[in-house]
Amino acid sequence: MELREVISTGNDLAAEAAVDAGCMFFGGYPITPSSEVMHTISDLLPEVGGTAIQMEDEIAGIAAAVGAGMAGVRTMTATSGPGVSLKAENLGLAQMAEVPLVLVNVMRGGPSTGLPTRVSQGDVRQARNPSHGDYRSITLCAGNLAECYTETVRAFNLADRFMQPVIVLLDETIGHMHGKAMIPTVEEVKKGIVPRKTFTGAPEDYRPYGVGADEAAVLNPMFQGYRYHFTGLHHDGKGFPTEEIETCRKLIQRLEDKVMMHTDELELNEEFMCDDLEENDVLIIAYGSVSLAAKEAIRHLRAAGIKAGLFRPITLWPSPADRIKHFTDKVKNVLCVELNIRQYTEEVERVSSRLDIHGLYKVNGRAISPYEIVNKVKEII
Amino acid sequence: MARTLMRFTGVGGQGVLLAGEIFAAAKIKEGGHGLKTATYTSQVRGGPTVVDITLDDEEIFYPYANDGEIDFMLSVAQASYNLFKNGVSEGGTIVVEPNLVHPTEEDRKKWNIVEIPIITIAKDEIGNVITQSVVALAIANTFMKALDDDLLREVMLSKVPAKVHDVNNKAYDLGKKYALEAMAS
Repeated sequence: MELREVISTGNDLAAEAAVDAGCMFFGGYPITPSSEVMHTISDLLPEVGGTAIQMEDEIAGIAAAVGAGMAGVRTMTATSGPGVSLKAENLGLAQMAEVPLVLVNVMRGGPSTGLPTRVSQGDVRQARNPSHGDYRSITLCAGNLAECYTETVRAFNLADRFMQPVIVLLDETIGHMHGKAMIPTVEEVKKGIVPRKTFTGAPEDYRPYGVGADEAAVLNPMFQGYRYHFTGLHHDGKGFPTEEIETCRKLIQRLEDKVMMHTDELELNEEFMCDDLEENDVLIIAYGSVSLAAKEAIRHLRAAGIKAGLFRPITLWPSPADRIKHFTDKVKNVLCVELNIRQYTEEVERVSSRLDIHGLYKVNGRAISPYEIVNKVKEII
Repeated sequence: MARTLMRFTGVGGQGVLLAGEIFAAAKIKEGGHGLKTATYTSQVRGGPTVVDITLDDEEIFYPYANDGEIDFMLSVAQASYNLFKNGVSEGGTIVVEPNLVHPTEEDRKKWNIVEIPIITIAKDEIGNVITQSVVALAIANTFMKALDDDLLREVMLSKVPAKVHDVNNKAYDLGKKYALEAMAS
């Protein structure tokens, strides 16, 4: 793939990625530490004929973005944890009505107002189930500057493929850090765009939600003669509310299966210095900015004769269960490092069926340093 | 080149962030790696702000400076100085604005404390207090010999409007002059 060098911040790269991926609408409300996503996309979108709008609050911000998604364009909103809490209801609507949408969440300290300018990964569990009801959230997590770009691009393609919101998690460190990134050229991004499916038959035969048991809805753009109905209620093939028992069951089962039967299209991980790991070595599991400290720690550990490697999920949800189990079956000493308290560790415990996973957690708004990881590894081996 | 770690501290609104971006961009232009991270508080202005700058020929992963490893710090506010000085390695250089920062006697034993009236220079000699970040940039580079002066100046000028090139060139020259004088004394 052809790459180009840029000097930028994570937030700016997420905004640029959206525009390069064909996003034509942004609805949002500024919140630290994500505001630069909105600032930058507000400059960029009008240049390509798109629209960026600051709404009166977080809820209206996502509501506008969902509306644009219903109309048929690629659409985005950006926020931080407190904003996701407010946006939860509309995220649920977009899951139920199968409206593609990208939500960038630049995580800060929580709960509630928390530590607005500080780093955290406290929204990992929230990203899994931001609203009530049964559905499978798709959540990607950038672990370096380049991925703020590439994962946002991937999020747009996955949103159209699976017809649902896709969350991109950044954190304050990644969002604000300023440096070099090698990212795909705009031409490469354009080549990779797969637009959402459309129905081309007779309008009277069109049933947007009348699809196969593991398939995503086929929502045609509005104003082209294909009429259907959006609702948050359980609905039939045309989108109209129903309480018919089998239709209701099949709908919710399909929301589950359209994701879980195709996890191979979603999974993406980095395995850093994992190839030579043996039973008595150390596996570190980390994601987002924490993985940067973990890589630096692994350099120090290897220099000191301690064999350690990093497994970094890039798609956090659904979790890469098989790959995690592959490593946790093989390596005895497993250490999860997170800027929260056990939010992903619990998933690692679940998929590995192990309860002896070690943890290093921090929730005071400060980063975990490489030396803290080195010391923890020395403590557990 | 081994890793160079620099830290600029002040209070929100003084413009220390830009100096960090210029350093990182110049190092990248040279073909290496540069990263800038900033930490600030919820206060829009007046809260302690710290900018960490990491320059290396190798890829940089962890973007913050590890405490005790910083080679050079520059501080223009007492509160930030107190909060962040311990990141500097023993014997490392700390440049302070003597009108605003008053290091203790113990500090003077532990670190190479250099007093340069950065804000007075910007305000009185250059005539624009905003240029203090460029004065600071030149001082840091003169002490650290981190990057080629011409390259750093070129990147700096590319980040400011053309109409203020002269005043920023002057700021760079004066920063370098004061740093050289301080190093010679």
